Amino acid sequence: MTTRTETDRPGVTEQASERPAMSRKAQELDRTWYSASGFVGWFTQVNHRIIGTRFIVTSFIFFLMAGIEALLLRTQLAVPENSFLTPDHFNQLFTMHGSSMMFFFAVPMMEGLGIYVVPLMIGTRDMAFPRLNAFGYYVYLIAGVTLYAAGFLGHAPDGGWFAYVPLTLPQYSPGLGLDFWATMITFIEISALVAAVELIVTVFKQRAPGMSLNRMPLFVWAMLVTMFMIVFAMPPLMVGSVMLALDRTVSTHFFMPSGGGEPLLWQHLFWFFGHPEVYIILVPALGVISSIVVTFARRPIFGYTAMVLSVVSIGFVAFGLWVHHMFTTGLPALGVSFFTAASVMIAVPSGVQIFCWIATLWGAKLRIATPLLFVLGFFFIFVLGGLTGVMVASVPFDTQVHDTYFLVAHFHYVLIGGAVFPVFGAIYYWFPKIFGRMLNETAGKWSFALMFVGFNLGFFPMHQLGLQGMPRRVYTYLFDSGWFELSLLATIGAYVFALGVLVTAVDALLSFLRKPDAPDNPWGGDTLEWATRSPPPNYNFEDIPVVRGRWALWERGDEPAGAVTGLHPGRREVLVTTLLDAEPHAVAILPGPTIWPFLAAVAVAAGFLGFIRHPIWFPIGLLLTFVGFVGWLWPRAVGGSAEEQVR
Amino acid sequence: MNAETRFDAGELPRLPADYRAPLWWGIVGLILVESVVFATLITSYFYLGIDQPEWPPAGTKTPDLVKPTLGTLVLMASSLPMHWADRGITRGDQTALRWGLLLSIALAVTFLVLKYIEYSQMGYRWYTHSYGSIAWTIIGFHSTHVIALILKTVVVSALAWIGYFSERRSLAVVVNGIYWHFVVVVWIPLYATLYWVPRILK
Ligand code: HEM
Ligand SMILES: [Cu+2]
Repeated sequence: MTTRTETDRPGVTEQASERPAMSRKAQELDRTWYSASGFVGWFTQVNHRIIGTRFIVTSFIFFLMAGIEALLLRTQLAVPENSFLTPDHFNQLFTMHGSSMMFFFAVPMMEGLGIYVVPLMIGTRDMAFPRLNAFGYYVYLIAGVTLYAAGFLGHAPDGGWFAYVPLTLPQYSPGLGLDFWATMITFIEISALVAAVELIVTVFKQRAPGMSLNRMPLFVWAMLVTMFMIVFAMPPLMVGSVMLALDRTVSTHFFMPSGGGEPLLWQHLFWFFGHPEVYIILVPALGVISSIVVTFARRPIFGYTAMVLSVVSIGFVAFGLWVHHMFTTGLPALGVSFFTAASVMIAVPSGVQIFCWIATLWGAKLRIATPLLFVLGFFFIFVLGGLTGVMVASVPFDTQVHDTYFLVAHFHYVLIGGAVFPVFGAIYYWFPKIFGRMLNETAGKWSFALMFVGFNLGFFPMHQLGLQGMPRRVYTYLFDSGWFELSLLATIGAYVFALGVLVTAVDALLSFLRKPDAPDNPWGGDTLEWATRSPPPNYNFEDIPVVRGRWALWERGDEPAGAVTGLHPGRREVLVTTLLDAEPHAVAILPGPTIWPFLAAVAVAAGFLGFIRHPIWFPIGLLLTFVGFVGWLWPRAVGGSAEEQVR
Repeated sequence: MNAETRFDAGELPRLPADYRAPLWWGIVGLILVESVVFATLITSYFYLGIDQPEWPPAGTKTPDLVKPTLGTLVLMASSLPMHWADRGITRGDQTALRWGLLLSIALAVTFLVLKYIEYSQMGYRWYTHSYGSIAWTIIGFHSTHVIALILKTVVVSALAWIGYFSERRSLAVVVNGIYWHFVVVVWIPLYATLYWVPRILK
């Protein structure tokens, strides 16, 4: 690491010039929190910023892959009776597209942002369980790579992203594609659950002194709510995907009616997860939006308490909605009415959020930069998606448009509006912090314009297509169906959108290759991540900051209100504070880099993947995993006294 | 920086073995996740059973009560020496720690042996019908937990026998104990579901 002076960093605020050279303490901290680099080093790193960045970059790559799949689908649908793709390939591609977008892009991207940003925002040096963090990443990486490798080797799943039974049972879907799918979905849940437990504990126990719950940044609140949703939503899907795998490999009868199984059980398990999933993606995005709105309006959020309460209530209500995906399965009328009411109700807290943002932006001296543009794009698109959402919450309407392009339009408005636009805003907002380089503003504006126009051009006509009766998941349509013009428009829009994405991807790559130029606090933000260097040093903060208000850096002119001393710079020490008021009450010593989390992830993968071939791999995997965990957790000071480890 | 708001962390405890330790919260989080998994399994059991004319299906015997109840008592008993062990080490009592852990392991192994005998004599398998699928899955999943517990505790007791733990270094024991009690307690609703519900329904 180099020490940089004011001259080679344009636009640096005063605080940087106060640190001309690295202090002795900073040097020692730097050694303590150092991670080895190089090929082998890569497998041992555990720092949250490294793991967070990996999640973000990896999930972005999956976003690009899934985008290419979408373009292939749209190319096939551009003209009627096209033979660009075979029906089988079409099925595989929409399955891979949907699964990748939901499981391998959206959720890991949000986790990555949380893992990177939250510890900085709450003023700590790392997450509570750094090695677990690394483990979660490897599990995710192995899942993604395996699913794609299997796909390229001709074992792509083709049951859609929700893999409805009985279609996906071995009688109707022989081959290994769905075995890989079910197994890899289980992996994604493991990875998400690991991140969830970890972020919850970090937020509960490692906030900077003085950051009581009612002073926590809204982004941190949003992440906390999301992680709780993961804790309650993912396990049921995990049970479901394991049952599916068992039905396929060892002939259990969970879902096969002939053996007494219940196909609807799968739908319940899937949608009990699947609906909250949408909010698991959306709620962090709401946090991103709040961060950006506050920073670019340059004033505190209007209605902080209302914002927190509405995010928390979204978290609760989201669990009362899953059956609206099953309106057409013939459920009891009373149940259907209940779920309709709940589905309409969720519009209320979402509305509160939108009004508070508008009130914050209203009359403020806005700074129009790319992150804010993406937020404004979000407003427009997400509100439209919400509108069609209220429409499909009504049972008669849903029965009419179920499984048509109206639904495809609806959920892309929600997902692209509610996740992709905020994620792009977040990329422009935090890229300087993460990589130490500003992204290009002109490129950002072009990217936004192309994405916004392309998206609406591509997806708005789908509403009409759906109303005209075009079903989803059809690989082609007839000349005289009357769907040609709008379909072609949708394809053109998709390509324009993709071009917008490409602009950002290229810009990010080029910026990354440039010399670091980002100031510590380029946007004048109020949260603690802006109080350290860009990119932050290995140890995040030389002194753990003390917080005295809700707007950590705005209370006293760009600096935290105080600092914590007495953490040993020669050990990976972090401050532990109380849950409600963040009063310091202990110090935790974190473990350092190691290869064991990687080995443990490989062991888990061996067990699960082997199981597809033979059940004997279950005990083998269990044993290998156990060995992995023992190596990982083996205490550093066996034989030494407690004193040696502590003092 | 403002000197008045400096806070000195030099004297704060470094390895507390209670709710002040993040690891303690991590285990609580793990328990929460697993509770949701077990709750889902129980819900699935009822969901699969609810539309069936008979549950367990015709031709399948209602499960016997003697062996499972015995096993349940043995498993519940294993929590006592575990408690004795972790209470012991927070007072620095190595004997309680060492023997408590071993005794718990012995009881858990007994539980598994009883389960093994019971299930090897079961007239149906996981592939027989949906009842078999869910019953075997629940048992398999829970037994896997017990096996993991035993393996984990073997390691902890190896460390105990070489004198690694002390009253100041007891977090691993305490956390292992919390998880142990969880696996014991979660068995009770599973036991009630698997062995009592079919009787009540019949
Ligand atoms: C580049 C922008 C995108 C385009 C052009 C696009 C296009 C498509 C197309 C053509 C389909 C298949 C429709 C059908 O035949 O039924 C589809 C399905 C789907 N898309 Fe996208 N999509 C895009 C982005 C996204 C994003 C960002 C997400 C989620 C975060 C997403 C989630 C889904 C899901 C869940 C499905 C359903 C798959 C299934 O039917 O199993 N898409 N998309
Ligand atoms: Cu929904």
